[in-house]
Amino acid sequence: MVLFLNSCISCDNYVEVEQPNSQLTRTAVFEEMSTANAAMAGLYAKMRNNGVLAGSGGASVYLGWYADEFDYYQASNSNFYNNTLFPAESTVTSIWNYSYRQIYEANAIIEGVTNSVLLPQAGRNQLKGEALFIRALLHLYLVNIYGDVPYVKTTDHLVNSKISRMSTASVYENSIADLEESNLLLPEAYVTPERVRPNRFAVQAVLARTYLYMGAYAKASNAASAVINSPLYIWETDLDKIFLKGSTTTIWQFMPNAAGMNANEGSSYIFPTGPPTLIGLRPDFIYTFEANDKRKARWTKAVTNGSSTWYHAFKYKQRTTTPSSVEYSVVLRLAEQYLIRAEAKAKQGDLTNAKADINVIRNTAGLPNTTAVTADDIVTEVLRQRRFELFTEFGQRFFDLKRSGLIDNVLSISKPGWNSTDKFWPIPELELNANPNLNPQNPGY
Amino acid sequence: MKIISLNKGLGALWYSLIFGLYLCCTPAQANKVLRQIQSPPQQIQISGTITDGTSPLPGVAISIKEKATTVTISDHNGQYRLTASPDDILVFVFMGFKTATVPINGQKTINIQLQEDITSLQEVRVNAGYYSVKESERTGSIAKITAKDIDKQPVSNILATMQGRMAGVDIVQDGGTAGGGFQIKIRGQNSLRADGNSPLYIIDGVLYSSETIGYSNTTTGMPTTTSPLSSINPSDVESIEVLKDADATAIYGSRGANGVVLITTKKGKAGKTKFSITSSTGVGKVTKFINLMNTEQYLAMRRSGFANDGIVNYPANAYDINGTWDQTRYTDWQKELLGGTARITDLQANVSGGSTQTQYLLSGTRRTETTVIPGDFAYRRTSVRFNMNHTSEDTKFKISFAGGYTIQDNKQPSTDLSRIARNLAPNAPALYDTDGNLNWKNNTFQNPLAPLKSFSTVKTKDLVANAILSYSILPNLEIKGNFGFTELNNDERKITPSTIVNPSLGITSANSSAHENATERQSLLFEPQLHWKKSFNNSTIDLLLGGTAQQQTTSRLFTQGVGFASNSLINNMASATTKYIWASDVTEYKYQAFFGRLNYNYRDKYIVNATGRRDGSSRFGPGKQFATFGAVGAAWLFTNESFLKDSKVLSFGKLRMSYGVTGNDQIGDYQFLNTYGSTALNYQGIVGLEPNRLFNPDFGWESSKKLEAALETGFMNDRLFLTVGWYKNRSSNQLVGIPVPGTTGFTSINANLDATVENKGIEVTLRTVNSSNNDFKWTTNFTISGSQNKLVSFPGLAGSTYANRYVIGESTNIIKVYQYTGVNPQTGLFEVADLNGDGLLTSAGDKQKTMNLSPKYFGGLQNQLQYKKWQLDFLLQFVKQQNYNYNPNVQGGGNLNQSSDMVNAWQQSGDVAPYQMNTSGTNSAAVNAYYRYVDSDAMIVDGSYIRLKNISLSYDLPLQHKGINCKLSLQGQNVLTFTPYKGGDPEFKNTGYLPPLRVLTAGVQLNF
Repeated sequence: MVLFLNSCISCDNYVEVEQPNSQLTRTAVFEEMSTANAAMAGLYAKMRNNGVLAGSGGASVYLGWYADEFDYYQASNSNFYNNTLFPAESTVTSIWNYSYRQIYEANAIIEGVTNSVLLPQAGRNQLKGEALFIRALLHLYLVNIYGDVPYVKTTDHLVNSKISRMSTASVYENSIADLEESNLLLPEAYVTPERVRPNRFAVQAVLARTYLYMGAYAKASNAASAVINSPLYIWETDLDKIFLKGSTTTIWQFMPNAAGMNANEGSSYIFPTGPPTLIGLRPDFIYTFEANDKRKARWTKAVTNGSSTWYHAFKYKQRTTTPSSVEYSVVLRLAEQYLIRAEAKAKQGDLTNAKADINVIRNTAGLPNTTAVTADDIVTEVLRQRRFELFTEFGQRFFDLKRSGLIDNVLSISKPGWNSTDKFWPIPELELNANPNLNPQNPGY
Repeated sequence: MKIISLNKGLGALWYSLIFGLYLCCTPAQANKVLRQIQSPPQQIQISGTITDGTSPLPGVAISIKEKATTVTISDHNGQYRLTASPDDILVFVFMGFKTATVPINGQKTINIQLQEDITSLQEVRVNAGYYSVKESERTGSIAKITAKDIDKQPVSNILATMQGRMAGVDIVQDGGTAGGGFQIKIRGQNSLRADGNSPLYIIDGVLYSSETIGYSNTTTGMPTTTSPLSSINPSDVESIEVLKDADATAIYGSRGANGVVLITTKKGKAGKTKFSITSSTGVGKVTKFINLMNTEQYLAMRRSGFANDGIVNYPANAYDINGTWDQTRYTDWQKELLGGTARITDLQANVSGGSTQTQYLLSGTRRTETTVIPGDFAYRRTSVRFNMNHTSEDTKFKISFAGGYTIQDNKQPSTDLSRIARNLAPNAPALYDTDGNLNWKNNTFQNPLAPLKSFSTVKTKDLVANAILSYSILPNLEIKGNFGFTELNNDERKITPSTIVNPSLGITSANSSAHENATERQSLLFEPQLHWKKSFNNSTIDLLLGGTAQQQTTSRLFTQGVGFASNSLINNMASATTKYIWASDVTEYKYQAFFGRLNYNYRDKYIVNATGRRDGSSRFGPGKQFATFGAVGAAWLFTNESFLKDSKVLSFGKLRMSYGVTGNDQIGDYQFLNTYGSTALNYQGIVGLEPNRLFNPDFGWESSKKLEAALETGFMNDRLFLTVGWYKNRSSNQLVGIPVPGTTGFTSINANLDATVENKGIEVTLRTVNSSNNDFKWTTNFTISGSQNKLVSFPGLAGSTYANRYVIGESTNIIKVYQYTGVNPQTGLFEVADLNGDGLLTSAGDKQKTMNLSPKYFGGLQNQLQYKKWQLDFLLQFVKQQNYNYNPNVQGGGNLNQSSDMVNAWQQSGDVAPYQMNTSGTNSAAVNAYYRYVDSDAMIVDGSYIRLKNISLSYDLPLQHKGINCKLSLQGQNVLTFTPYKGGDPEFKNTGYLPPLRVLTAGVQLNF
């Protein structure tokens, strides 16, 4: 019995375990710059690998199939390529979940640095500015893919599990507010070499895009000008250098996981022998390049087996690892800013400057100055250039077709399964089931 | 730091125990000296042979009445020799036979024939974990199988041996790949957490964690990650007891809610040294393939799909019909890829023996199983077990030691070819080209043999050891210490060399990758116990007090290497260009408890059994760690009442009831902390951190209230024995990962849910002895269990994230689906009902039809026949249930084969057809209709089956040499299946994985 009682001594703390050495409390993470930075790094690494901005399997690939950039080559059928999405489709769900997970982590960083006692003010501003930027950018993609979506600004699950959809206009307003705040917090200079963390110009670049999508053309061209005029960015006329890691036109890019690795886009798109096993550029896309467009020769590549020919995107030329990394995945680059400003200026009636901006793009591609005369012609030309300049870059083509109102005309010809309601993906079924406040489902699903 | 202090703690307990024992032994030694002084009376030598009428009985314990406990044990030829005084009385005791009492009366030779006692099953002691109880006196619900049943089954997993043989125990195999796991549910699904329904496993008194030791990226060919349970070697097991009701499980407190599985290993028996060698070899095949389309039917489906969509020019990737592939070829891919024969060999050897005081058993087993998939894949298990029991001469001190070591080595492909075999177009090209190389048909064919170049090797080493020391301090008081130790080492590796893809794609070893999982788990257990038993004139009191201190440490290292200078370096993680560490952590689980049992038996008529336990678990946050559980059970043996005592018909009758509360802490470790952990992903040279979970510190024990009543009756000397049990379990304060919408950043949050789930059911077991004469013996065992699961209450269900998943009053194992109304003869599309009439088909609004996927009832019918030297044993297992039909894809969309039933597709307006129109996959309306169809009640079909689960025939070879016994046997598993289910084998949990195989083996056993 003594023995038995012996064993009872200090019972109460016997079942208390110490915190595992592989985990750190939330509070502790944001009391030191190194760990707070690691939380931020974790978020960038995730965005690079999963979700809308992933170079393999993100908006680039799925919207490429969904619109008219890619053909699909697997034995099974692709609901993206066939435009036959349904609410329980697994990628529709995973892109939603990845995005909101990334937004959660951005919110956790915002809350963490706000409540932090020991972080230096500069570090606090930097991290908060970056997190706000990411939150705005991800919502911008979500609203353009899924239509009205909730704008999530807290980590509180009680709030977030009952949240309602917000009108597209309100999502844009919230994005703008976050970007404006971020603009004040982030410095102009990059905090680290290699442009792999956003600076104030990255914020301006996304502001320019958001204003353009909203139709706020004056603000869009101002924001684009802020980027274009910055001495940090130098126009590059060699098309083969645009996607190198040291490119002077890059505004923001993702650093690969390790030294020697390259952008995921290269391994996703390139195939050495035909037919491709998964992804190939649509032949009709290749055929519509203007004659002598250097982008066709430099940014796409034909693969033939003697009887048939297939094409792959070749902006990124590294398919595998190299002794040291050569290419990073470019999320924001200068050419888009010229195109934004050209379109915004044309819409505002400043046709001369609009044409000047288009010609920067055209001339670099080896094409003569544009012959467009009217504002409408110029806008049409901008959209054409966007198609050939920004192809396979995070679904730009799909978003342009939508906002220009051309989507049904264009895709009903090239895609046999296209319906007008396909311009939004469905809200994931699990999501509607778990949170009925997200009703109604998008039309057509 | 805590580890060290605990070790110290245990060490200190050791010293005190040894010291305590020393103190206790001192008076005992004194006693012994005193007894030896008494002069013995005149002794004579007595010898004889014991038989059962036909053959000698070895192992019969012989004692001298009122003088000595077991004096000797009969040898292999049934002979014994002892010394006693002429006026002594000898008592012969042997399990399964009536005890014989013979006065010596001066005889020197006493030959005796023991009478088989068919009622003796009531005398058998049943293991209830911390104590054992006579079958007749048990107040709880305990199911049992013994080595007799286990040894007849040619299976490698201990859970497989229980299938169909135990009432209320529902077991389904995850898949047919060797080394794979099983799902077990004892009396239904208590917890809403899919992974919170495992019972507690205890091997010889040592708690054995069944939590996975695997990593999903290393064993991709298996539906579930590696389970430690496959380390348990069935041939080492003497018996398995499953504790089901509150009376039996409450003593396990927080971990008893899902039942307790007690595994007792084989022990040595006193007598002559015995050697036994068993060798068997056999084959395994897939039980059943699905009927798929042939080339002609398939191509017709594909062509009509495009025709229906108005597509004339077949797209580039439609290789099957656009002229790239030969359209006259036909391959039965299921036969080609899964039609192989698995070879099974099993060799066991053991030696056992000992004296009345010390017995031992040493056994070794080696088993090999290959697979039905082409290639060099195999599962190997080697195990060694040693067991020793010793009792001091005065029988006061007892020690028992058991130790087992198992090595498993499993090499399996990282892709289960089942799905591919069903999907491949029947006119897909040949596997090999004319040069004998893998055929890729110019990049148009994903050769199904290529994925086999990627495979996993799983090497598991498992040590389980325990020692039980006990000492009787006083005649009625015993002190006992149970020490347990387990160490598990799991090393898994999956390699994915660049050669799994067509070499023309230019993928090099720079893209090769390897995953590795190194998991180690150690646990230490100490359970001191005090046992006091006192008999009075009319009653007996049995008291047990005990404590448990357990700590378990699991360390994991999940790594991945990508990019190797050469594929020959792929097994060397150090050679990888890029390395990821996906997990590197140490998890500690600590648990402590105090438990007790008080049993009162009045005249063997009325028995009351009370058990209780106070538990603490490190899995809960501060203030939530402790909880108390307990139960009361009672039994009335009404056949011991005077008015029934002499009944000729009713030989045994017992009514028992129990009620109590048990708990569940299966939530994983550290879930109450608000932390960040590593993402393993690198950015700017920094390994990223990520939040681990949505934070909720306020979750606590899940508890389960169990009520049971049962009637056990034996008729005609127990030749017919019927047990009918009824139970009702209610689990509340459910500990679940509540699903949350993705907008929260996560998919679930751990919390207690204010919901109550009820499982109630009836279990019937019937045993009949149809013939018991010496030449022909025949017994039948029948079990059937019916259960009903119901969500009793769930305040706030409508506003919760479960609103579209559960319905109050229905089972928690339902799925909500659309109601299928048929193929519209005009549009040719599958249609489902708009149940809420809003003109739209929405998941939340119209998936109102509920389908229950829990088995309605299940059971088994076992017959054991013995005619002279022949023995036949067979088990028919039956399950009444609904299951998912097979329908993998839109008919015609993609070059994927389909079930041959789908030739009956709608073709033109007015057709009444079971399947909708074919489509190339671009008809959105048809594709959406298809996805609604597979989410409708049409997909849930009768998945019931009756299966000849096991058959075993053996023959005792008559040999000239007396000392050798040779037995030949044929065994079969999953031999025959009767089912209306068309989607392949009806026993499956995961589509796309190998079903359980049909296994036939032949073996020989030698005993000498």
